[in-house]
Amino acid sequence: MAERRVWAMIAALLALGVLLVPLSQALFGLRLTYTVRVVALGGSLLGALSGAVGCFAVLRRESLLGDALSHAALPGVAVGFLLAGRQLGALLVGAGIASWLGLRLVAAILRTTRIKQDAALGIVLASFFAAGIALLTYIQSLPEASQAGLDSFIFGQAAAIIASDIALLGAVGLAVTLVLALLWKEFKLITFDAEFASAGGLRGGLIDALLSTLIVVTIVLGLQLAGVILMVGMLIAPAIAARQWTHSLEQMVVLAAALGAFAGGSGAVISALDSDIPTGPMIIVVAFALVALSITLAPGRGVLWRQLRQRENRRHFRSRRLETGA
Amino acid sequence: MMGLERALIELLLRFVTHDALNAFLRSPQHTASLVGCLIAICGALLGTFLLLRGLSLTSDAISHTVLLGIVLAFMLMTGAGLEGDTSSPWLIVGAAAAGVGTVVLTETLHRSGLVRQDAALGLAFPLLFAIAVILVSRFVDDVHLDDDAVLVGEIGLAWANTNSHCFEHCESLRITPEHPAAQQMRQCVNCRELTISPRDERAEFREVCGNCGVYTPAQAWSAGLLDEAPTLVFFPKSITVMLVLTALTVGFVAVFYKELKLTTFDAALAKSLGFRPAALTYALMILVSLVAVGAFDAVGSILVIAFFIIPPAAAYLLTDRLSGMLLLSPVIGGAGAFFGYDLARGWLFGMLPVAEGIAALNAIFGLQLREAWDSSISASVVLTMFVLFVLVWILSPRYGLVVSAVRRANSRRRFDDQVVLAHIHNHQGTPSHAIELRAATLHQHFRWTPQKMNRVLMRLRALGFVSQEAGSAILTQRGDAHVHAFRKQLLVAHNIPDIDPTQP
Repeated sequence: MAERRVWAMIAALLALGVLLVPLSQALFGLRLTYTVRVVALGGSLLGALSGAVGCFAVLRRESLLGDALSHAALPGVAVGFLLAGRQLGALLVGAGIASWLGLRLVAAILRTTRIKQDAALGIVLASFFAAGIALLTYIQSLPEASQAGLDSFIFGQAAAIIASDIALLGAVGLAVTLVLALLWKEFKLITFDAEFASAGGLRGGLIDALLSTLIVVTIVLGLQLAGVILMVGMLIAPAIAARQWTHSLEQMVVLAAALGAFAGGSGAVISALDSDIPTGPMIIVVAFALVALSITLAPGRGVLWRQLRQRENRRHFRSRRLETGA
Repeated sequence: MMGLERALIELLLRFVTHDALNAFLRSPQHTASLVGCLIAICGALLGTFLLLRGLSLTSDAISHTVLLGIVLAFMLMTGAGLEGDTSSPWLIVGAAAAGVGTVVLTETLHRSGLVRQDAALGLAFPLLFAIAVILVSRFVDDVHLDDDAVLVGEIGLAWANTNSHCFEHCESLRITPEHPAAQQMRQCVNCRELTISPRDERAEFREVCGNCGVYTPAQAWSAGLLDEAPTLVFFPKSITVMLVLTALTVGFVAVFYKELKLTTFDAALAKSLGFRPAALTYALMILVSLVAVGAFDAVGSILVIAFFIIPPAAAYLLTDRLSGMLLLSPVIGGAGAFFGYDLARGWLFGMLPVAEGIAALNAIFGLQLREAWDSSISASVVLTMFVLFVLVWILSPRYGLVVSAVRRANSRRRFDDQVVLAHIHNHQGTPSHAIELRAATLHQHFRWTPQKMNRVLMRLRALGFVSQEAGSAILTQRGDAHVHAFRKQLLVAHNIPDIDPTQP
């Protein structure tokens, strides 16, 4: 029963997402320009990708890792620019390397000191971000090179997305899906019981590193659209919303992908209605609205549901008491 | 605020002349270092408690959402027709409210039982920050809330934003048309009306005063209206703001030290003793928000979290005492703020030039990067703090990497010694003596390399625990005593009754 409900929901979400464009064309006079189409497509692809990958981050209690890693990517962007100029490939590779180094540094601090995870994340976040800012100021001072566009990695600039970025997102999305499908069992095991996984002979470190790499790749791809500050919301909001509706990992990942795609696409469409509304923040607001809806309405777990059941229980209890009292 | 500033300057003027004070404050380096140190002191004191409570990243969330508070207060103020200024008390109230709002939102999400603590935090602050960004770009135009201000602040310009205070020759001047310095001018009364030039003969004139009005002492002096220079002190506003916040923070920690300590280490006990840990937590969060907004001008909304997290984390690796952390972390933060200015100008700790590093990179990788390094001050301060943290991490006499490695090597060596001694003790004088203890093959029983066995034996021989007899290793009297002492120690440590296995 629960199974079918979630799959129906996913289908309804996707249908609603597809219908959203003609609807807003008819109701709000949306002009479906090339930019809007590309941004909406990019937003939904990124939403789907980060929704799926974010599930593992949320379930492993590493929600804020995404925040630290996205900030940690900034010096990589700057170094990539210094070494190779303004080529998206170089910037993304640099971002990936820096973000991955940040991940290793967090792990090293946790392994060798008694500092807890939150502080370790904070140290890496702040110092890498500072390094990034220092490098960006240095780049700004270079005479020949204007740092045009590097700022967009901080706040995200959806309008800068072009068709080739979509192709990149699609290709990486496919690769990530493939890795998830191939190593599904391993990822599931390490997410829910890492100790059992390593006791069972699984190469825990390797799988762990691979899962973290997936998160890093997703973050790096999302930087251009959402920016380093808001990327963590992209990563975890769809996963948290999906978690409320189901107890199965399979359903959660697919539902989170659908919710993420919906938030990404509709956020982009809404922001296209008014030129003053930035895309990245709008996507985050839509995603949070989905979380709020899920927390309130989700059957079995949601706040509303629990209150109903509580009232039911109370009535039941009262009638029982009357029976025995009589 | 102004009165406070004036009292402070009067105090200072007892020790230095006003020229020296002005010269000191007009130096960007002095003001930036001073403001940085004050932020570092506030951040380090509050951050110590955040770190110990596992709430370090709450400062991250608060510093982001403070932006929402600032924007909302700003919109309300412009709506009410007030001048917007980031040191206005209403902005501070808004920011504090936003900070508390973040904590409340996170707690509500967490208490619903549906979202974990870290996830709740990760949900709450991107949402509030996103709303702030949307509001800025949708409703607030031409504010100085631009990217740079949000990200890095302008600590290097802190010296330029001053209040002026006058102490001597402070006549504020009113120039009336009768005043000897008044400059009379002829102004055409009907030129605009008739659209004629003043040369036209129909033009009518009247005498007006060109420079009449009220002059502050500073304006009067610069307009050359005073014979004697007024004694003026230009005091940067950020220093005042941060001084007040530092006084608040230090006062809070001093007054509630006992309560803070108790609720930090044992909230349940504190509650059962009648304290209210939640109230104290909220007070702490309000202070964090206030410091975040006070530091917003200087270091922006993201880098400020370094002041809350990095110095306490470094101090945490140096000491086990709360009082020690509260003393050490402001020192570390202050040192970061002090040396950070040098780093922004290209000198790490005033010793290592960054330019040479870039030159080396250019030489190695064949790049053509500009060697002169001139960078963001606030980012450099954070980087310096990070360098200090790494130094502490490696060198801390208590928990440093070096000490830990030495300690680990020592205990590994001790373990090896004990294993060998126990082996010899077990087999000495038994029928298997000749097989088990033959020096040439001893290493096989431990699956060690012969080299390692030799090293261990040499050490044990040097200690006088082991000697060699007919090709076998045997315990000396001293070694035997050592083994027994060790056995006794183990039995006591694990609370096992001492039964001699050789006795039936």
